[in-house]
Amino acid sequence: MKRIVFAVSFFFANALGLFAQDKAIEVFPAAPYDRFIIFQALALFWIGIIGLIVIIRMKLREIERIQRMGIDQEQKDTPLLD
Amino acid sequence: MSCQRLRNWIEERYDVEEMRRLAKHKLVPVHQYEIWYYTGGIAMFLFILQFITGMVLSFYYIPYFEHANKSVIEIVTKLNMGWFFRSLHHWGAQLAITVLFIHAFSTLLLKSYRKPRELLWVSGFILLGISIFFGLSGYLLLWDERAFAAVRVATGGAGNLPVIGGLIKAFLRGGLDVTGDTLTRFYAFHVSILPLVTLFLIGIHVLLVQYHGMSVPLSLEKKPQRQIPFFPNLFYKDLIIWLLVLGIMVSLAVLLPPEIGKKADPLAPAPENIKPEWYFLFLFQTLKLFPGDIMGLNGETIAIILISCGILFFFLIPFFDRKSSRGEKSVLFTWIGVLYTLYFIVMTIIGFVS
Amino acid sequence: MKIAYSLVTRRTFLNTLFGGWLVAFCGGSLYALLKFAFPTLGKEPDFVVLKTGDFINIPPNSVKPFAWGGKLGLFFKKENGSTYALKGVCTHMECNVTYKPEDKKFYCACHKGWFDDNGKNIDGPPPKPLEFFEITTEGEKLIIAKKGIKVELPKA
Repeated sequence: MKRIVFAVSFFFANALGLFAQDKAIEVFPAAPYDRFIIFQALALFWIGIIGLIVIIRMKLREIERIQRMGIDQEQKDTPLLD
Repeated sequence: MSCQRLRNWIEERYDVEEMRRLAKHKLVPVHQYEIWYYTGGIAMFLFILQFITGMVLSFYYIPYFEHANKSVIEIVTKLNMGWFFRSLHHWGAQLAITVLFIHAFSTLLLKSYRKPRELLWVSGFILLGISIFFGLSGYLLLWDERAFAAVRVATGGAGNLPVIGGLIKAFLRGGLDVTGDTLTRFYAFHVSILPLVTLFLIGIHVLLVQYHGMSVPLSLEKKPQRQIPFFPNLFYKDLIIWLLVLGIMVSLAVLLPPEIGKKADPLAPAPENIKPEWYFLFLFQTLKLFPGDIMGLNGETIAIILISCGILFFFLIPFFDRKSSRGEKSVLFTWIGVLYTLYFIVMTIIGFVS
Repeated sequence: MKIAYSLVTRRTFLNTLFGGWLVAFCGGSLYALLKFAFPTLGKEPDFVVLKTGDFINIPPNSVKPFAWGGKLGLFFKKENGSTYALKGVCTHMECNVTYKPEDKKFYCACHKGWFDDNGKNIDGPPPKPLEFFEITTEGEKLIIAKKGIKVELPKA
């Protein structure tokens, strides 16, 4: 976390330095229309990830429930129908 | 679904049952330090993402010094979501190296390197060196003023090693100074040589982990271990953590896209406050500690020798730490580990703020 | 309405939910990746702006090439002095065509295709006529546009 904070402050310090010369090269679409689409996409992306994590947690709970019941192992001496 | 038919097709030809049994037997111990087990997997996941974003960026990047900077600018400004994938690649690299250091220091402090896992430490250390070189070579590909100066400093620093320094510097630079030849060389490293070596070493590293199983810290080894199967329990936990890491990486990429400067001019003076990438800072901060002249000998050479010894000792720790290889508590090496970790963190922070 | 038994097992429910969401998530991410990996498939311009002086005075029964996006465009002046602009790309396999003033025809060397001086395909494999453009002049600017496109010049 600390590193990220330092990375951010380092980035900003650097970015301001760049403005000292001619105009910095745009690395992020400037138009508000594009920006909103991008942030919307980011929000949807996070919803997707959190949804997946929730579902995986549900699966894990079910798996642990089954394992606690002990019914996930195959029985050792299942008779074969010859 | 016709999953069953596909499964039958495969099972009629290949002994899947054997692999399935092996997979079911993979168990992972559960204890208070288990959170550190995830660091290796996260590092591997980040590397896979780097491979994907890197491959797709290499469609558009031009590795000739005349056009390199412009091609990156074109990627970032003209192509569909080019800025995003370049930003992803940048942040993936930062996160990967961060996680790699966490992985390295956690295995150091938990003494996972002890017998029988010495080769894991050795392959891991080489992988760490390769990853740092990945970072350096990738950074030069921008061919902007900062990158150019940073690589000049880094290769110049390597050149100060006694005896072999000159050779290393010439090999890395492809000549006397950082030129277009350096760019070609670094591109070859970054895109071809390092990925192949990395794949090979990661293969060995992961296979060794499967072979030895997960290491349990010495203090807990004697106690009875609760173990859970890797498939499916830990597999899904890994997946959750990887998804979170992906989310963090994408957020960073969107909210903090990296800058790109204008094309490097070999004759221009170095930009103000030039600093290497953060993972080199601890080295350069250490160099600054040494005065130029120590009892008539070149201070910088002595510094480099001492640093190299420090790194060499770090590399060979499993072979020096006799006590832990016998399974005994090794307090001295715990303190050595703490010293290394703190030194790295403190020197990096000082390098940042100064 | 409550039923006594469950219509699907827990396993099926969870696996379907997981699989479906995973496919959607991966599909979306893959779409983003592919959009970057596939270059903007060679879009042609709607119009190009040339310098009138460079083209208006070419000798009759000759052509002068210009850039139409990445492809060949031909400014064509017939024997009678009327001017046209066309895409100099053969409609067969997209080779560049050339003008033969002696025959007053356009010729494609790749498969020996022939077009008359109105662009109509008259011999060889080309299935369609050559594409002609609309010419407008605004003083110094010679504007060549696709048929049917309303040209709006940027205020530059």
